[in-house]
Amino acid sequence: MKNIITLSILALLTLGSCTDVGENVYDKYAAEDFYGSAEGSDAALASVYAQLPGNWGGVGYAGADNGWYDLNSMSSDEQVIPHRNTGDWQLDFARLYQREWLPNDGINSNAWNWLYRSVFLANLAIEQLELANAEQSKIAEARVLRAFFYYLLMDDYGNIPFFTENNLPADQIQQVSRPEVFAFIESELKANLEDLPTTKGGNYYGRFNKWAGYTLLAKLYLNAEVYTGTPKWQECLDAISVIEQGGFSLHTSANDSSLPLGSKYYELFGDVLPDDETILAIFTTVDVVGRNIFMIRSLGGTDGTLLAGAGAWNGSVVPQEYVEKFADNDIRKRQFRYGPDPSGPQPAGFIEYALELDNLDNPGADRNAGARNTKFWTALPANGGGSSNDFPIYRYADVLLMKAECLVRLGDAASAKPFIDQVRQRAGLSGLPSAPTLEQIYDERGFELTWEAHRRQDMIRFGTFTQERYLVPAVGDHFKLFPIPTSALNTNPNLTQNPGW
Amino acid sequence: MNKNYILKTSIAVRCLAVFLMIVFSTNFSEALAQSKTISGTVSDNYGMTLPGVSVLIKGSTQGTVTDLEGKYVLTSDGDIGTLVFSYIGYTTQEVVLGNQNVLDITLEEDLLGLDEVVVVGYGVQQKKDITGATSSISKEDMNQGAITNPLQQISGRAAGVNITQIGSEPGSRPTVRIRGITSLIGGSDPLVVIDGVQGNLDLLNQVPPSEIESIDVLKDASATAIYGSRGAPGVIIVSTKRSKSGQATIEYTGSVSVDQIANELEVLDAEGWREQARIWNVPFSEDHGSDTDWYDILTQTGMTQNHTVALGGGSQNFNYRASVSAILQDGVVINSSNKNYIASISATQKAIDDRLTMTFTMNNSIRQNIGSPGGVGRAGFTSNLISNAYVSKPTDPVLFENGDYFFDPNVFQYINPYAVAETIINERESRSQFTTFRTDFEIIDGLKAGWFGSWRKVDVNSGYYAPAASTLAGAIDQQGIANVNTNLTDEKLMDISLAYDKDFGKHKINAIGVYEWQRQTYQGHFAQTKGFINDLTEYHALQLGSVSRYLPGDISSYKNDRTLVSFLGRVNYSFADKYILTASMRRDGSSVFGEEHKWGHFPSVSAAWRIGDEGFMQGQNLVSTLKLRAGYGITGNQQGLSPQQSLQLVGASGSTYFNGGLITNFQVTQNANQNLQWETRRQTNVGIDFGFAQDKINGTIDVYTATTDNLLFNYAVPQPPYPFGSIAANVGSLRNDGLELALNYHLLDNSDWSITLAGNVTFMRNEVERLSGTIGGVEVNTNYVGWGFNSYLIEGQPIGTFYILENDGKESGTNEELVVDRNGDGVIDQGNESPDRYIAGTALPTFTYAFTPTVKFKNFDLSMVWRGSGGNMIFNRIRRDFSLYESLGKSNMLVSAENLGLFTSQYASDLWLEKGDYVRFENLAIGYTFNTAKIRNISSMRLSVVGNNLALFTKYSGLDPELNLSGGNGSGLDAGIYPRTRSIAVGLHVSF
Repeated sequence: MKNIITLSILALLTLGSCTDVGENVYDKYAAEDFYGSAEGSDAALASVYAQLPGNWGGVGYAGADNGWYDLNSMSSDEQVIPHRNTGDWQLDFARLYQREWLPNDGINSNAWNWLYRSVFLANLAIEQLELANAEQSKIAEARVLRAFFYYLLMDDYGNIPFFTENNLPADQIQQVSRPEVFAFIESELKANLEDLPTTKGGNYYGRFNKWAGYTLLAKLYLNAEVYTGTPKWQECLDAISVIEQGGFSLHTSANDSSLPLGSKYYELFGDVLPDDETILAIFTTVDVVGRNIFMIRSLGGTDGTLLAGAGAWNGSVVPQEYVEKFADNDIRKRQFRYGPDPSGPQPAGFIEYALELDNLDNPGADRNAGARNTKFWTALPANGGGSSNDFPIYRYADVLLMKAECLVRLGDAASAKPFIDQVRQRAGLSGLPSAPTLEQIYDERGFELTWEAHRRQDMIRFGTFTQERYLVPAVGDHFKLFPIPTSALNTNPNLTQNPGW
Repeated sequence: MNKNYILKTSIAVRCLAVFLMIVFSTNFSEALAQSKTISGTVSDNYGMTLPGVSVLIKGSTQGTVTDLEGKYVLTSDGDIGTLVFSYIGYTTQEVVLGNQNVLDITLEEDLLGLDEVVVVGYGVQQKKDITGATSSISKEDMNQGAITNPLQQISGRAAGVNITQIGSEPGSRPTVRIRGITSLIGGSDPLVVIDGVQGNLDLLNQVPPSEIESIDVLKDASATAIYGSRGAPGVIIVSTKRSKSGQATIEYTGSVSVDQIANELEVLDAEGWREQARIWNVPFSEDHGSDTDWYDILTQTGMTQNHTVALGGGSQNFNYRASVSAILQDGVVINSSNKNYIASISATQKAIDDRLTMTFTMNNSIRQNIGSPGGVGRAGFTSNLISNAYVSKPTDPVLFENGDYFFDPNVFQYINPYAVAETIINERESRSQFTTFRTDFEIIDGLKAGWFGSWRKVDVNSGYYAPAASTLAGAIDQQGIANVNTNLTDEKLMDISLAYDKDFGKHKINAIGVYEWQRQTYQGHFAQTKGFINDLTEYHALQLGSVSRYLPGDISSYKNDRTLVSFLGRVNYSFADKYILTASMRRDGSSVFGEEHKWGHFPSVSAAWRIGDEGFMQGQNLVSTLKLRAGYGITGNQQGLSPQQSLQLVGASGSTYFNGGLITNFQVTQNANQNLQWETRRQTNVGIDFGFAQDKINGTIDVYTATTDNLLFNYAVPQPPYPFGSIAANVGSLRNDGLELALNYHLLDNSDWSITLAGNVTFMRNEVERLSGTIGGVEVNTNYVGWGFNSYLIEGQPIGTFYILENDGKESGTNEELVVDRNGDGVIDQGNESPDRYIAGTALPTFTYAFTPTVKFKNFDLSMVWRGSGGNMIFNRIRRDFSLYESLGKSNMLVSAENLGLFTSQYASDLWLEKGDYVRFENLAIGYTFNTAKIRNISSMRLSVVGNNLALFTKYSGLDPELNLSGGNGSGLDAGIYPRTRSIAVGLHVSF
């Protein structure tokens, strides 16, 4: 009897279709087929750029919360989200400002994971573009993008795991020293920048053209001393001289009563960023491509409804000390909103914010304490989840101040003066009375670039990052680097934590 | 009154055999000359006469059968000697005759019912031949009352089967775990088999509870291995009622219950809030001057109705049964309801001298659900609608003076829960249907070939509309959100089987070989628009939404499937009815694994020794039954793993801006793992079935240990190089051990009284043995995986171990909570692996128990279910969220917060961790069976009153300690539940 059973089972076994358990895929593309096509390699490049807009989950360069932007901005002296005595806001953000973060913190690991996912996608794009024999400019673009992410990684974490091929087993990924990463970025940029197109705006809006690439190189050199111990001020100036061939100029700050803050200066932070000054922007349309939460997160609840069209979050504020450094006639001071007569519209029932911030954690700040920032005045479409303002990664005012700084650092303060004065005059201020000091350049960078995610890097370069600041004491030097996230350390035994953590 | 439940085919065969034998022998005896006559009446121990009892002269073929009044007359030519009275379901009695001519006999019910059959995979077995661990619950033993899901009928009735109901939301089904948690990725839900149709727990919604004849639960691997790939978490086999030949019936079963909230949390009333507001200096402007009991406004008295009409009948070669049912629930939270309508028909026809049997079944069900919205609230507190009643301050009015829903713009993401309940449309309709067809053909005596096919389709359509008036932030932002969602499931199964069943003297063989093919296809689409000028069309006219608000993700569709192919065989061999051996082997292929790893082998072997039947056990009265069982088997899990994870695929991830325009952002969807393979579970089971004193006391003890290897889980992988932080892989292992004890004591059994005390206890523990190992040749380290709120998967600890900060009082002055700095470094690390945390118990119970006594007195019957569990901890997040006075300005609070006096806390410490032990008086049923012998046209009638959830004994301070105990993520967390009801139901059963 068992023979009959065995026989019938054997008979069934031989019927191939009866034993087919292959996997069917109906609603996705197989990776190998997709990337092998021309559309695929372009899509691979586009997907690296798709990493830039900020979004929920702590991803993106800037625009949303809990990611790279918060890590690099809230750890500086330009913004903080205090715990409120109404029970709102957990302490994660305040602890960044207080410099009490820990390797386990979610914002830290979000930034790390976002950066390495970007490197993975850039590696993929390079590999696929090369396989598809794509134009050299596209390959160069992908390589520069990868260099950009490694630059951000090195800036935050120092010695970092390094890989340029995705199919490498995890245990073969080695941690590379900061100077080595620096050297890699430098050589990648040098080898590829000349292949980048010079087109500004249009198809290259939001992409690395030659000028954005050289700005990245200039930034690398500007901070070379921090990264390698060897300053490269002259190399920075050389890179800037290339950017100058791009025909950039400062955008006007003419009065315009149709704009909420009354000056065309704020168009630099609006929907489509003007390409006279903007070198590299992040395209944003809320819920479609990223989001910009910086105003809605800052304003108090009812102010959001009055000024931004949706209930606001009562989150990030600008520390009093920072606001008070601004001259009252500085156009750039209009971004701050506080007191009984704030800049910008004053609809009935607007909130009077107190400039003072009494407390960051327990019992927390009063509901309306702290100056708010409306630099990214809501561009439509917008809702409670943010607005559609684009975000400037690099702009020409920054480059001018970099140039001034390099000149001062090289001992030529006199030559530096016109560059810093240009920026001041555009802001409605007079030029400096005498040749600029480093401190004046540092302050000017603060005035010009508030909330644009440059502050931590600047503070480290100028040596102020670990010093005492408004409401909190000085901290140790190891805070100049973020700790490698615990999750990354646990999964890769090859990694060594940064000193002090 | 036949207490035993015996399955159709075998009863038919047995009856037929007895009948033929008796007819034959009576004819034979009539032919002989008369010399001695004996007569009498056979009745049961309630005094009811028993027709059809076989009366046989021992050692001969002479005999007769009792007539409709239970009377018999037997004539013999010689000395009769000993008479044997036998009747299915009753203990056979032998009586040595003296000189009497009249002998009345009372037959005892066969209490242990060793003749019961158990539905095992792909067939039935007599209970005495069972070698694995199974529990059978027949309809007489099922819980009664306002039953909306068949699982509620067996809650507490089977050891090792833990059924948990979280709240009483209409349409929500209980979770069930058989012998603990088998898998972490999913697939801990048992396989459900209804009359051969295999499916997930949702399949149970297609059976009217009153149409269930029995539920069999297969627990250990030797029993479930026959279901191989889908059997690892246990199997629940539901057999529905079948009509009996020659009997046409119409039955009505119905109940109506009134449901009330069993327990409420005590929150501040307006006066209490104002008092606290003065103490804690909340600005006067936060008081909106009202006195609102939000919980009261959002709740009502619920009602559950259950009506089934069944009809059936049959002749010798044909029988059919059809039923229609309606299960209607109106929840205790306003605007929540569920209606389930089921229609079913099945027919069986025999032909070719009864060698061919065909059975055809069709089942159709429509479920209409109006759901109370879940996941609502502000950023800091998201829960179901009713739990938002704790958020709303008693001083906030429900409506503005102009009749609009009250809204406080000063509070971030303020919601008015009454507005949510009244304005949000959240409807779902599920249409399920299945058709099955079975053909069995007896080729030669004992050898049967079978073909079975089932096709089930489930279409779920839902519609949602949130108007701006709902006060939900998203709906206000978007000026109304409407969407429709369709999910289609298609499950096909086909098997071909060859079964052999024959006795050779003392040898009995039962063997089966099966080829089986299954495909499950999942498909669906979703569409959403936003921005409506008014709310009139709800979700019925998406085209009226504003085109400017269209976003990527507002339209989507998907399709995927899985295919399973299996070859299986099982042999059951029994020698002298004392030594029984079962062996099975299954080879399964599943599409969801890597190209080279699709096939797995799942063997099992088990044996039983009926010691009680051995010669050396005779001649004593203490032990009446003793059976030893032992088994070992391997089962596999693939159902928990979603399809396509072994493949590197590219999908859409929103849109991006490139080349001056918006394009789809194509991205790899996951870390693909081409080495994905079967998760396997090795289980060893040893059990004893015993009975003492004529089985007055009987029971079962089982011990088991089960280890899940190649544990499927989303393991942490390093970034870099992986683009995602985790990968589905087979790395770790998980162990479950347990001890199960079920006991019955027939305390009293006579014509008026019957008292049975029954109960069961289960002890279980589980351990995450290992989570770290190699993936793709590289050592990876996964540990301290968050598995809830402060509960984790930690190697060497049970699933859902609480690893938590220890409360250390509060700071005087600021009233901020303090916690212990365990490693003394001056910093409180709140990270997952923080050395400041400590292990504080587990989220899953370590023991469960139930006590289910029944009492019968004449026509009255009474049964109870007391059920409890313990050994687990609960993180009471509701208490944490509503005990900190800093929130008083924007939220209500628990009255109990006053004892703590905490203003703020940075932590979620063990201050909020509580013991989860409880005992519930779950069910009390009192019934009266009418004496219908004198009533024309009514063959039986029973009236009952059933109370549900009558009392709860627990120290847990939350609403109810019966929470998510599924073992999945979130176990042991109380984040707000739909209230649990206490209900009184009146039921009626009539058959004509």
